[in-house]
Parts: sequence; C-alpha cells; structure tokens
Amino acid sequence: MAESKIQVEVAYARPDRQEILAVELERGATVADAIRLSRIGNSFPEIDIANASIGVFGKRGTMATVLNPGDRVEIYRPLVADPKQARRQRAARGTPKRRSQTTRER
Amino acid sequence: MSDLVDQIDALLPQTQCQRCTYFDCYEYANAIANGEAEINQCPPGGDEVIASLAQLLGRNALPLNTDHGAHQLRHVAVIDETTCIGCARCITACPVDAILGAFKLMHTVIAEECTGCELCLPPCPVDCIVMRTAPPESAVIDAARASRARIRHRFREERLARMERETDERLRAKAGMSDQKTPTSDAVKDAVQRALSRKKTPRE
Repeated sequence: MAESKIQVEVAYARPDRQEILAVELERGATVADAIRLSRIGNSFPEIDIANASIGVFGKRGTMATVLNPGDRVEIYRPLVADPKQARRQRAARGTPKRRSQTTRER
Repeated sequence: MSDLVDQIDALLPQTQCQRCTYFDCYEYANAIANGEAEINQCPPGGDEVIASLAQLLGRNALPLNTDHGAHQLRHVAVIDETTCIGCARCITACPVDAILGAFKLMHTVIAEECTGCELCLPPCPVDCIVMRTAPPESAVIDAARASRARIRHRFREERLARMERETDERLRAKAGMSDQKTPTSDAVKDAVQRALSRKKTPRE
C-alpha cells in the first residue's frame, strides 16, 4: 500500500521576491487543492488565480491537473516583451548580437 | 566503491555546473573515485573543497586547475524581463529547476535555488540572462545549500527519466504495440525501416 499523502510545492516568482511553499496533500489531489492549501495569495496579493496561467515544472496545466509526489505547482506571469515585435527589432538591427564574455565553451 | 563516491560527492558544492567537464557533481565524484579525474577541477569549490578531498583521500592538496575556471563567490542568474521572449530553453537547461516559467510566459530565476552554474546562458536566444553576485548572506555555498541543490538535481533527473518512460509507453500504446517489451522489437525495427526507405525517395 502506497502512502496516502504526497508532498508538493507551490511557487510564484517576481524579480524582487520568489517563494516556494511546501504543501502536503492526499494522493490524487489537484493543482487547485495545492494552490488553495498553500495560501500563496497571502504572500502575493496581486495573484489573480482565476485568470493566471498555471502549470507544473514549466508545463502548462489546469486547476484539475492531478499531482505527482514532488511536483512544483507554478503560477506564471505574462511576458513583457512581444516576441514577434522583439524579433522584428533584432532583424532590423542587422548583425546578430554576440554572446557576452561570461559564456564559456562547453 | 559507491560509498566512496557518495563521500566525495558530499564534499562537492553541487552547483552541477560541469566546469569539471563532467555531467554533474556526482559524475565528477565518480571520476575522482576511479582515478580518472584530479581533485582540483572544481572552481566553485576552490581550495577549501580541494583540501577536504585531499584529506578524505589521503592525498596532497593541489592548486586549483584554472583551466576549469577561477574560484569566485556565488553568483546567481537574473533575467531581463523586458527582453525575455518566453522560449523556455533556459528552463530546460537548468540542472536544479531554479527557473520558474513556461513557454510564452515570463521566466524568473528563483535566486535561492540558483547555483550559479551559468548553463542557462548559452541557450538563451536573446541574451537576456546575466550573472550577478549573490547577496553577502548567501554568497558562500554552505553544506545546507549544497544539500538542497543535490536533492533538486536528483529529483529533476528522476522526473525527466519518468517523463521519458511515460512518453515511450504512450507512443507504443498509440502504435498498437503495447504488448511489445522493448523499443528494439521487430515491429519498431520495421517501422524504422519503412521510415528510412521513405526518406531515400527525393522530394519532387
């Protein structure tokens, strides 16, 4: 018989502050359960959970996504830059931007 | 033998940065244990780690081999939000799941989780990630930080392996080969052969 409880995390990140909250749930619990129990909204009142994009480890999901042990539920923020616009601007500049010097050969 | 690998791994800073030329700290530990690698190939660990490795192995300490990089205080990656296009390549590259984000959504480095490995820099197509020195209170990689990074890294590796298995199973089921035990079964070989022969026909 497998353990009936699973440990997951709920995370939200801004440039100035990031939080990962640990939550214990019943096996079969969903993203919605994790978010509710984590009370992440207390730390970040700006989160509009009904309209936010959510997922697990970089993969978008829904409130009904069932969680595996160790999963990290993530609440995402929208992009600031428009990727297509950014591409046009890079193309207009002509020569591709060279990598910074901190990058090493691998 | 694996005991010794674990003992060596326990002394390494768990940045998983590959500066030692191995895939992760554990692989480097393994290489030290079997005599393939020297004890001075870890720039994040610096002289302190070299000294502790020398003591563990009953050898003389060596100066850091700077071919692998110079020792420096912990740095963390920072993403320029006005430039990030949400490509998710840095998320794939991060060995410790320290970047929160998804495709076409903002990516943010969770500073406390970042080991400063710099593996996210090369894949970024818009060069929006820079390295900054960590705040003074977290500028040194202590045992607690290393231990957390080890757990994160191992969990990530297990998760990726699990996802690969699940994808495999799903594809096999889809191809109606759920009863086949291995992907090298005849049915798969036939499918590959068919695909290869299709490729040989030049396009009109």
